[in-house]
Amino acid sequence: MKIEILFSEVCNQFGDPQNAEYLKQSCPSDTFVYTALDEEPCFASSRPDMVIMGSMSESIQRKVILKLLPLKKRIEDLIDDGVVFLMTGNAADVFCRKIDYVTEKITVDAVGLFDIDVKTDWFKRVNSKVIGDADGNTVTGFRSQFAEYSGDNSEFCFLKVERGFGFRPGHMYEGMRKKNFIATQLLGPILPLNPDFCKYLIDIAGGNGSPAHYELAKEAFDKRVAEFRDPSTEF
Amino acid sequence: MSFRFLFAMAAAKLSRAVIRLFGRDGSCTPGIIAIRLCPDFLRHLKMPDKVICITGTNGKTTTSNLVAGIVRDLGYTVTNNSLGSNVQGGVATALLADSTLTGKPKKQVAVLEVDERSSLLVYKYITPDFLVCNNIMRDSLKRNAHTDFIAYILGSALSEKTHVILNADDFICSSLFPKCLSRTYFGISADRPDSDRISSRDIVYCPDCGTRLHAEYVRFDHIGRIYCPGCLKKSPEPDYCVTEIDASRDVFKIRHGGEEREYKLVNSNIVNLYNFCGAVAVLTEAGFDPDKVCAAFNAQKIVKSRYDFIEAGKLSITTQLAKGQNPVACARAFSYIASLPKKNKCVLVMTDDKHDNTNNSESVCWIYDTDFSALRDDSISEIIFAGKRCRDQRLRAVIAGVDPRKIRINDDLFEGAKMIDTDKYSDIYVLHDPYILSETGMIKNYLIERGKANED
Repeated sequence: MKIEILFSEVCNQFGDPQNAEYLKQSCPSDTFVYTALDEEPCFASSRPDMVIMGSMSESIQRKVILKLLPLKKRIEDLIDDGVVFLMTGNAADVFCRKIDYVTEKITVDAVGLFDIDVKTDWFKRVNSKVIGDADGNTVTGFRSQFAEYSGDNSEFCFLKVERGFGFRPGHMYEGMRKKNFIATQLLGPILPLNPDFCKYLIDIAGGNGSPAHYELAKEAFDKRVAEFRDPSTEF
Repeated sequence: MSFRFLFAMAAAKLSRAVIRLFGRDGSCTPGIIAIRLCPDFLRHLKMPDKVICITGTNGKTTTSNLVAGIVRDLGYTVTNNSLGSNVQGGVATALLADSTLTGKPKKQVAVLEVDERSSLLVYKYITPDFLVCNNIMRDSLKRNAHTDFIAYILGSALSEKTHVILNADDFICSSLFPKCLSRTYFGISADRPDSDRISSRDIVYCPDCGTRLHAEYVRFDHIGRIYCPGCLKKSPEPDYCVTEIDASRDVFKIRHGGEEREYKLVNSNIVNLYNFCGAVAVLTEAGFDPDKVCAAFNAQKIVKSRYDFIEAGKLSITTQLAKGQNPVACARAFSYIASLPKKNKCVLVMTDDKHDNTNNSESVCWIYDTDFSALRDDSISEIIFAGKRCRDQRLRAVIAGVDPRKIRINDDLFEGAKMIDTDKYSDIYVLHDPYILSETGMIKNYLIERGKANED
């Protein structure tokens, strides 16, 4: 299996790099390619099995959009071909239709895989937790974001929310999914936090690894699920 | 002066007196009341002769305490909020407590620790004469997001009239406040590290021209001497520079303007050397006699809530602040413990956020953003993660390469402390979050008792 990690030198906020690290330890015999922002992504010219990108600052986000916008058709072809993409935190926003940076008074067209618009306001920070179902897998996660989303993702969400919220409070559909392209506002350590989902992701990418330190990860996961499902836990 | 301000001042002072009557310190609420009643309350307060503010991600409290302590020892009266809150309400409380009913200052110097997030609310009304910024690092992702955001807030808030004292070795910090023409830099040239690999995750490309940055050397994260091969922007030369650190004699030297002075090394943690140098720089720039500053510096101690060392029987107990939710602070604390020249260390880690874990489930993303690799060090024989997030901490440590056989966990802080085998270990390190000082104190006392009992 070949896994490409995009722009990890700058898309590395909030623990997101641990997705790639956990995958490396879970699939030690597989090939990991790290592509920097000043390099051409490998997926532009060859087929990886999985592509990962993590959270970033807003100024970097605009540079990433400039980098990926010309590759939109290629990304769509890879999605049709079943390649797994995991875009976490505000890496997900890059694939929406447009982003309105309210504080900086800038609006940019994003890659536009999904008809979702994003408004990013540095004076509106949202922190929350989510537990939900992704294709039969219970997934837990945390969100910390400046972004607000508008649009309807009910037909192409990543998670059906059990507790917490999706695009906005009261909204029960989290993230976006097109075939194996997963874009979630949940922050990066989603794989070590959810070892069974990690196994699911490896499987759909055609790999044969298994989640590293599974028993330790599962014990932490079970404790988290119990807390998240406890009615006295505030969301 | 408006009636509204006078009413707010009277109400706030009254509330402070009532709160203190009940044995609480009232370090924030009176200020909040004052600002509720008079939103521009801070604007109406007359400031002391000199106003020194301290900000930055890590080291604010240590630096602020140090500066305030030295100024007091030099014979001046000081308004200071270091024992209280560093947000707008805390700053207002400290100032109003030391003001007359009409808002005139009773003290000569204000030394105010100001939270970066509160900068817009504080500097809108107060123009400090001097502002020290220790560093801009990753902090609570929930509150502080990322360094771009904090740099934006600080840059938007401060008047260009303020004389800024900046960390030359922090490429983000040294670039702040470009409109402030009075600029002084501090840094460390001693113990220059071998590494020239930029391990920073926050500044990789030049903010001016976009070229990938290079480094002469890097101490940790983006702290070091960095330059851009594209536009030739580089870390500024420090005006105040730590030129020598002699841990064997517990001294260090700072060079400024061709003169070099020797200071007592209160603590050898490199992050504290930056705090010490920043403190000396601001006091000298503020006009205090450098020789007297040096003499007063040598009488200071780091407050025990930050660092403490006790010997009890055969036990050596070190308590070290490791601020939860703050990836760099925790990683530096791990690194500091690993660097100490002892063997067979036992480390108790208690970095959960007490408030976030009350009727809640703390976001653990910051744990995954923290570098745990220093805990792999051979000198550390056992690590006990204590608190509700102990399973996440253990997993993160194991992913970082820590041998799982040397890790034990406990959901309860005190039960975790009781797991320490004081017959087996004589060097015990307790890393703790700032919001569990009372629990840390109780655990410290428990370990002291164990140490004395072992001696008997």
